[in-house]
Amino acid sequence: MKNTSLNISIENVTKKYDEFYALKDISLDITSGEFMTLLGPSGSGKTTLLMVLAGFTNPDHGSVKFGDEEVILKPPHLRGIGMVFQNYALFPHMTVEQNVGYPQKLRGVSKSEIAKTVGEALSTVKLEGLGHRRVDELSGGQRQRVALARAIVFKPKILLMDEPLSALDKKLREEMQIELRQLHDTLNMTTVYVTHDQKEALTMSDRIAVINGGELMQLGSPSEIYDHPQNGFIADFIGESSLLPAKVTNSNISIGSSKIKVAKPPEKNGDYLLVVRPEKVFLASAKKKNDDNYFQGKLLDSIFQGESQLLVIELANTENDEQTLRIRIPNQSVTDKALPAIGETVTLGLKVADSYLVS
Amino acid sequence: MNSTSNTPNQEELRRLASREGYTFFGLTLPYLVLVIALIAIPVGWLFYLSFIGRDGTLSLENYERMWKSKAYIKIFITTFKISILTTIICAAIGYPLSYFMSQLSRKWANICMIAVLIPFWTSLLVRTYAWLVLLQKKGLINNILIESGLITEPLKFVHNTTGTLIGMVHIMLPFLILPLYANMRSIDKDCLKAASSLGATPTRAFWTVFLPLTLPGLLAGLLIVFVLCLGFYVTPAILGGGKVIMAAMKISTNIEMYFNWGAASALGVVLLVVTGIILFVASKLISLDQLGNR
Amino acid sequence: MKLGIKTAGLLAAAGLALSSASAFADELRIVSWGGAYQKGQSIGIFQPAAKAMGITVKEDTYGGISDVKLQVRSGADKFDIFSSGAGSCASGAAEGLLEKLDYSVIDVSNHLPGMYSDYCAGADIFSVVAAFNTDTFGENGPRSWADFYDVDKFPGTRAMRNRVDAQLETALLADGVPMDQVYDVLDSEEGIERALDKIRSIKPHIAVWWSSGAMHAQLMKDGEVDMTTGWNGRFDVAKEDGAKVSYDWRTGIMDWEGYGIPKGVKNKDLAMKYIAEMMKPEYMAEFAKYITYGPTNGKVYELGLMDDARARQMPSHPDNAQHQLTLKTAWYSKWRTYADEMYQEMMTE
Repeated sequence: MKNTSLNISIENVTKKYDEFYALKDISLDITSGEFMTLLGPSGSGKTTLLMVLAGFTNPDHGSVKFGDEEVILKPPHLRGIGMVFQNYALFPHMTVEQNVGYPQKLRGVSKSEIAKTVGEALSTVKLEGLGHRRVDELSGGQRQRVALARAIVFKPKILLMDEPLSALDKKLREEMQIELRQLHDTLNMTTVYVTHDQKEALTMSDRIAVINGGELMQLGSPSEIYDHPQNGFIADFIGESSLLPAKVTNSNISIGSSKIKVAKPPEKNGDYLLVVRPEKVFLASAKKKNDDNYFQGKLLDSIFQGESQLLVIELANTENDEQTLRIRIPNQSVTDKALPAIGETVTLGLKVADSYLVS
Repeated sequence: MNSTSNTPNQEELRRLASREGYTFFGLTLPYLVLVIALIAIPVGWLFYLSFIGRDGTLSLENYERMWKSKAYIKIFITTFKISILTTIICAAIGYPLSYFMSQLSRKWANICMIAVLIPFWTSLLVRTYAWLVLLQKKGLINNILIESGLITEPLKFVHNTTGTLIGMVHIMLPFLILPLYANMRSIDKDCLKAASSLGATPTRAFWTVFLPLTLPGLLAGLLIVFVLCLGFYVTPAILGGGKVIMAAMKISTNIEMYFNWGAASALGVVLLVVTGIILFVASKLISLDQLGNR
Repeated sequence: MKLGIKTAGLLAAAGLALSSASAFADELRIVSWGGAYQKGQSIGIFQPAAKAMGITVKEDTYGGISDVKLQVRSGADKFDIFSSGAGSCASGAAEGLLEKLDYSVIDVSNHLPGMYSDYCAGADIFSVVAAFNTDTFGENGPRSWADFYDVDKFPGTRAMRNRVDAQLETALLADGVPMDQVYDVLDSEEGIERALDKIRSIKPHIAVWWSSGAMHAQLMKDGEVDMTTGWNGRFDVAKEDGAKVSYDWRTGIMDWEGYGIPKGVKNKDLAMKYIAEMMKPEYMAEFAKYITYGPTNGKVYELGLMDDARARQMPSHPDNAQHQLTLKTAWYSKWRTYADEMYQEMMTE
């Protein structure tokens, strides 16, 4: 089941409700066959952008092209997209087969052809043999698969998904993330995926567009976005992180009394934030406590979390007395080395390569 | 501890459960008494009376009369004709209106709903006479039509089937709209979007998705309207001008003019049975529809 | 379901009535038809007569002889006296629902001939007439029943009653049957059929079958129909209100209204005395000031209790009465049920 796919080009799309900008001058190019995730908190405008692509929301101005074709004035039913909705939007009065066959029936496909393509689509989503079931007899995960089968049965060149996994429990959600990604690699259709779950975005996407307040804040691959967030909001939103206020004066960077060095020092003096990912911090010997990129603090809490141990540390020598840092140590090393006891003073290190400042 | 059972507290817990059962039964008791006193006994008496002839003995004459007399057959035809027409017109007006309301924001939908319900708070008699005033030969509507030059002779809006239908549709419309609107509100709007994204034109999406999903509400509404119409009395009596005679009016005549409780009861029984059959058939249809096995 | 509720309601009402306390010894309850008619009765007759006797009389409206039947058959006790048309009274008497009136207590010696029966003491006289719209016809409207049935000479919409009462007579009169033979002809199924056929011949022109006096008065007021059968008093009141309506006494079918007592009432003796009081001419004269229904008691005229101008408006005034057919209650007790069923069939056909 290999599809040809189309690139999507979004230019200057703006949508305003009264004084509120749902989308503010968004431009975004999605390459053919790409898995693009629109990531943002609720109310950020990511779903509005998806609805603009689908044709359910008309922007105030802007252009949307599928390939070379301008589609902004086309009604949804002529856009030829496959779409998966948050609550699946399956037709409750139809069986699984009828649901999946619906787009084919609309396209006037012959009965035998419908049976064949529906069968293929159902096997693609691993639902063979459930075609005669009623929708309300299915589990949440199965409904999700039916919705997916229905969206891909007519081999659309573009697939839009609006938080399709948000209603599933965590374990199933994580399984489906992998499956969806594999499916995308098989079908190769251009996929635009909306989610507020940063981990999901990191897991699945070729590229992520972080959207907040109706604006495109950062566009990049998952690792770019994770390692080099463009601002504090993204750093905070994507992945776990502690943000430590840092001062830059004439290329000298200080956090309280500690000095640090970073991979890319900023050119201007001023206040910045040091992004500290918990898994990048390591426990060091107390001897190093006065070296650059080393900090000292008191262990407040130590929490067993299965695959890792989470340590909450109150930093000494910072301007803010209450500044805490979370660090994560893989459980492998827990067995190797004795963990510090609560209340003990610990010394922490952060490699220069892992030290990253945002404004 | 219970000596007859080695499972702790089994007996006590069983008794607790049955006591709860009695309590719940007790809660339904006032209603049961009401049903028996006001429905079961009178309806039983109705059946009994319908088999009593004019001479006071058991007889089938009340039922024989119904299929032998041309007037009775005509009355049944009229009753069903008026009920069916009212139901169809209500659906034709109520369906688009309900759809419109279901698409509005909650606030505006509530305002519309109040407008729909206002007639409910007005006496049926008042509304019926209001139609009489509006529709008669020298009434407001005919006057406007004549003055505007659209017609030269007054149209016969009232004292006939037309007038009866206008009055009855006006009264019945809320009964259709209420269940239908609730049904439409409960439909996942994404279902229509899904249909559209999958390639359905708005018309196609309506026929293949929206209409089937609103069938339970529509059928419920149609049923309520139809059954209520079957027993209608005041509106056809006033707006029909004596030319639209429905079963309820005949029942009243049988009692008031002929003291013939038997004949009236038999008519009542036939209406009751017909209504029962319709409800039975419709309940099958609706539940099947909700199972999605169509 | 309407019927179920209605029946249940009647049964419940009957049940409650069984247990309700009966009236006080010096109190009577009387029921009539409401509207302008009962207003006249109340002011002119019911209350002055009660005052003269020093008793309390409570008034209510009722739905006709069927309510009397309900009270008698269910053993309820809701009213002591009712006001009713002679025909209905006769059919109620035929079913054994009424107390026989004691004419040693009630003085009808001065009543006009035929204006009382064993079960009903006549109180006022009214006529069913053919009223026409003077806007449509001027003063040259249908002045006989032959005219009313002549759709070529008098084109226009008609209304007739949705009950048989005083309607078949009009058909036979229109068909040329002499007044004194009308009830002879009607005294057979064939005769009734002849009358119904005559009505059938103008059925396409009958726009409305009216069900109450208020309704036929309104039909004429609004110009909804060009002519109708109906009660003279209602047309006179409508005319005073400005309605363009007129009628000719030659179409009159004179009938009378009276008082009856349902079987088994506790205050029977007091009710009898009260009816006797109400038969006095001064009350009837007073009542006739409110609606043009004439007194049954001849003394009203003899004593000059009514001025000549008003008297001439009454159906029972000799000048008017001489043209009219008098409704025969005996025919109604014999034929009414059958004739009305046939009449209903004719309407529904």
